[in-house]
Amino acid sequence: MKKLIFQGLISLVLFFACWYLLSQVQWLKIFKVERLANKTEEKVGDMIWSAIKASDQVVYDKVVTGCVDSIFAHICQANNIDVDDIHIHVMMDEEVNAFALPDGHLIVNTGLIKASKDEAALAGVMAHELAHIQKGHVMKKLIKEMGLSTVLTMTSGGAGSEVLKEMLSHISSSAYDRTLEKEADIQACDYLIKAQVDPNAFADFLYNLGSEDAAAAYLNWISTHPDSRERGEYILEYSKGKFKDSKKIVSKSAWENMFHNLGHEVTD
Amino acid sequence: MKSQTIFLNKITEEEAEKASNSYLMSLIAVIAGLPLPIINLIATLIFYMGNRKGSYFVRWHCTQALVSQASFLVVNSYGFWWTVSLILGDSEMTNSYIAYMITAVLFNMVEFIATIYTAIETRKGRHVEWWFYGTLTNQLCKS
Repeated sequence: MKKLIFQGLISLVLFFACWYLLSQVQWLKIFKVERLANKTEEKVGDMIWSAIKASDQVVYDKVVTGCVDSIFAHICQANNIDVDDIHIHVMMDEEVNAFALPDGHLIVNTGLIKASKDEAALAGVMAHELAHIQKGHVMKKLIKEMGLSTVLTMTSGGAGSEVLKEMLSHISSSAYDRTLEKEADIQACDYLIKAQVDPNAFADFLYNLGSEDAAAAYLNWISTHPDSRERGEYILEYSKGKFKDSKKIVSKSAWENMFHNLGHEVTD
Repeated sequence: MKSQTIFLNKITEEEAEKASNSYLMSLIAVIAGLPLPIINLIATLIFYMGNRKGSYFVRWHCTQALVSQASFLVVNSYGFWWTVSLILGDSEMTNSYIAYMITAVLFNMVEFIATIYTAIETRKGRHVEWWFYGTLTNQLCKS
């Protein structure tokens, strides 16, 4: 029996020692894992963005993009995020939706802008999508839903427009899992607090989306982001006591002009 | 690993074939090209169940093949689920993960070579006892 225990222990020690020693090698650098992952993400992001751009739904109106850019740049600067790493685009789409694409592309629908009561609500949703980008959720979701092989085939030019469409549909109209959504919400709260933007406005926005009245109007956002009421509640809970002063990002006239150019009245 | 002659009775052709097959069973997943580590164990277990009333030589080698597969199941399953969580979950690729996979592959290769060697030797009617697994089998398998 002693021999058995001795041999078993030696085998275990050998295994763990081998593992430990090999762990000291910088395999990630040797295999250039990060560079490879970044290149793949860059390719996928560019391909999807090119497909969107070709659909002629991109809004180039300087008043609209300027306002959205200002709000977004304010959040990034307050959180030491390089604005150049994120490419924000406004899409002419009545669906109340915003979503992140691989390689830092962030799409904001005009439907979402129109549904936002104020800049803080819009900033909240953008901060949430920014959190998904910063935490690397986008590629994870794509690989999870479409499979690693499909994503890799796409980057090698082996995927057709159907795959691209499917990929875009996955990204824009399905939710991240609950844990990732909550992680992004909490991160968004931190971004907003640092940027002196009231996170309660984001919580209110989510809470109102969860109401029955909004269900029909904002069907898309609700289906992609479930349990909006619950999310609104935990955002309120998390930000309690943390937020002090709010700072105006865009002027009232700039906000109103944006709504005017979108052919929509500002809601109070 | 050591070769010994501890069996007093002469090993028959049929016994040598069965003992050798018990090791070949553990290679079935490699032949099938399946990534699931449980397949090896199931194949070896089925073979063991079919031969547990066989001669001591056959039982002994079926047991050695089974216990070695059981411990490799732990090593390979851990690596398998770590990989799954890397692709589908929140885990990140780390040096520790790559080191684990290399370690697992190294140990699997040693086991693979030992399995083929033992399958050949037992087919010739020679007894082969592995380090640790042989000792464990001696404890479990009584004549």
